[in-house]
Amino acid sequence: MEINNTNKEFYHALTIDKDVCVGCANCMSVCPTEAIRIRNGKAELYNNKCIDCGACYKVCPVKAIYIKQDDFKNIQNYKYRIALVPAILIGQFSHNIRTSQIYAAIKELGFTHVYEVENAAATIVEAYKKYMKKHKLQKPFISPFCPAVVRLIQVRFPSLVKNIIHFGVPLDFAANSIRKRLSNAGIKNEDIGMFYITPCAAKIASVKSPVEDVISPINGVINMDLIYNKIQSLITKSMPPVQSLNHALRGKDVLFSLTAGEKSRFEGRSFAIDGMKNIIEFLEQLENQEKTNVDFLELRACNQSCAGGVLTVANRFLAMERLNDRCKAIDKMNEERGMPKQGEKLDIDEQTYKKLIIPEIKPRPILKVGDNIKNSLRRLQEMENIINTLPGVHCCMCGAPNCSAFAEDIVRGNAKITDCIFYNDKPENIKKKLCEIWGKNKFFKTNNDEN
Amino acid sequence: MEYTKKIIGGNFSEAGEASSAIKKVLKQLGVDSQVIRRTVVAIYEAEVNVVAHAYEGLLSVLIEDDKIKIVIEDEGHGIEDIEKAMEAGYSTASEKVREMGFGAGMGLPNIKANTDKMTINSVVGKGTVIELINYF
Repeated sequence: MEINNTNKEFYHALTIDKDVCVGCANCMSVCPTEAIRIRNGKAELYNNKCIDCGACYKVCPVKAIYIKQDDFKNIQNYKYRIALVPAILIGQFSHNIRTSQIYAAIKELGFTHVYEVENAAATIVEAYKKYMKKHKLQKPFISPFCPAVVRLIQVRFPSLVKNIIHFGVPLDFAANSIRKRLSNAGIKNEDIGMFYITPCAAKIASVKSPVEDVISPINGVINMDLIYNKIQSLITKSMPPVQSLNHALRGKDVLFSLTAGEKSRFEGRSFAIDGMKNIIEFLEQLENQEKTNVDFLELRACNQSCAGGVLTVANRFLAMERLNDRCKAIDKMNEERGMPKQGEKLDIDEQTYKKLIIPEIKPRPILKVGDNIKNSLRRLQEMENIINTLPGVHCCMCGAPNCSAFAEDIVRGNAKITDCIFYNDKPENIKKKLCEIWGKNKFFKTNNDEN
Repeated sequence: MEYTKKIIGGNFSEAGEASSAIKKVLKQLGVDSQVIRRTVVAIYEAEVNVVAHAYEGLLSVLIEDDKIKIVIEDEGHGIEDIEKAMEAGYSTASEKVREMGFGAGMGLPNIKANTDKMTINSVVGKGTVIELINYF
């Protein structure tokens, strides 16, 4: 078996439970990086190819793919327990449950502080602008917001890595600034436990294994569906009283993680693209052009951005409606308080800015088939010969998503040509190989004793 | 490794197919991403040149261990003054072609800027042959 050219294995939040997997191959057919194969009747993951987008998690009919999270009890290891909450969590609940009641429920679950990560949105926008001024030649700028997109570019579009705004995940920034605020108030760093409530797998992976070796300020990650259930149970038993919240959010901040949440804050020519397929299509074209007059690209892996995160519970359009209403309500409230609606000019200081910067994002190309060009060329030729002998109907019976992925597996030594059921063979051998790939009981249920 | 594609004059909607196909191969070979980008831009410009100016053409690509060689041969008007055609902004494209966003007079200069070697031969009234080489 050959492991692809990666220096280091990446942490993946997605895990396949082989005991539960029924080998239906749904996951294999939706994976945007062709990272899944079926072997011995079970789905298997090529770790170097997976970008943690969570597409497989969504389509698994038996919940064999799960997203590893930290034990909820871990929050008790800290004296101060901070829940870092993305605004999209509020969008999971119906209109009649107020934000302050959700906050109160989170505290009842054991957290001492609740902090909405979108509080950092204005600062991050300013930092983007500063970065853009400093690196004018690297247009178009690609937002570092969505970790699945950053990973996609690393593996499939290495030439565009330099266009990514070289910031750590904005989430880290939000966490760092609240950590600082708490330690200024005299709280010891080791007493602070920060837990992010995540709407997706990619954010977990980016906390556990950042793009580059930056130590994350976040101590743990809790899946949004889990916390949703806990909050909903609490609220069903007894509804906490409504309180007035004292935060510095502006209306548009709560829309930051929705599609166009970033784009809308920049001037110039920019695009907000959501959905993995749409992103790939756009980047393929972008890569072919020498010069573009595009300034900024907001790219989010999920449809409707974080509202479509794989760990969200509510219908994404209902969640968006809720957040849009909240945006209006916050603007109205701020107006009454005399807070300016606009006014992004925070003028970020150099020290804060430097903390956001990461020196390098390394490409991790997965497409190359050999160690060097000579070797790759030979393998590519082999692949072409193999593909010519295959039926080309992409039946997936070999356990690969299509004939060319299968051919690639063969030249890498991860599959053999005889795995193709159409490869000239005796009928009894076809049966044998189908059992090997898909398990004994999939195709020959009535007479499985024979096998 | 070889690749060929027939290019039909006026078929703007398909221009870019060859460069995308070659891009995929170069990525699979593990060629440096900047070399890939240069090559893709050059092939695309050459494809558009044939589509915009010629009746038809043939694009052939040969990939070896250390280089990619691209030959674009077309049947068309040919280029009267090659030196002038190499100048940035010089264009003989029709109004119709320009309206489609092509014909800015950057084709040949862009090809030259994005290749290590470029030779061009043209016979007026017959056609043009362009040979390009990029080293890996």
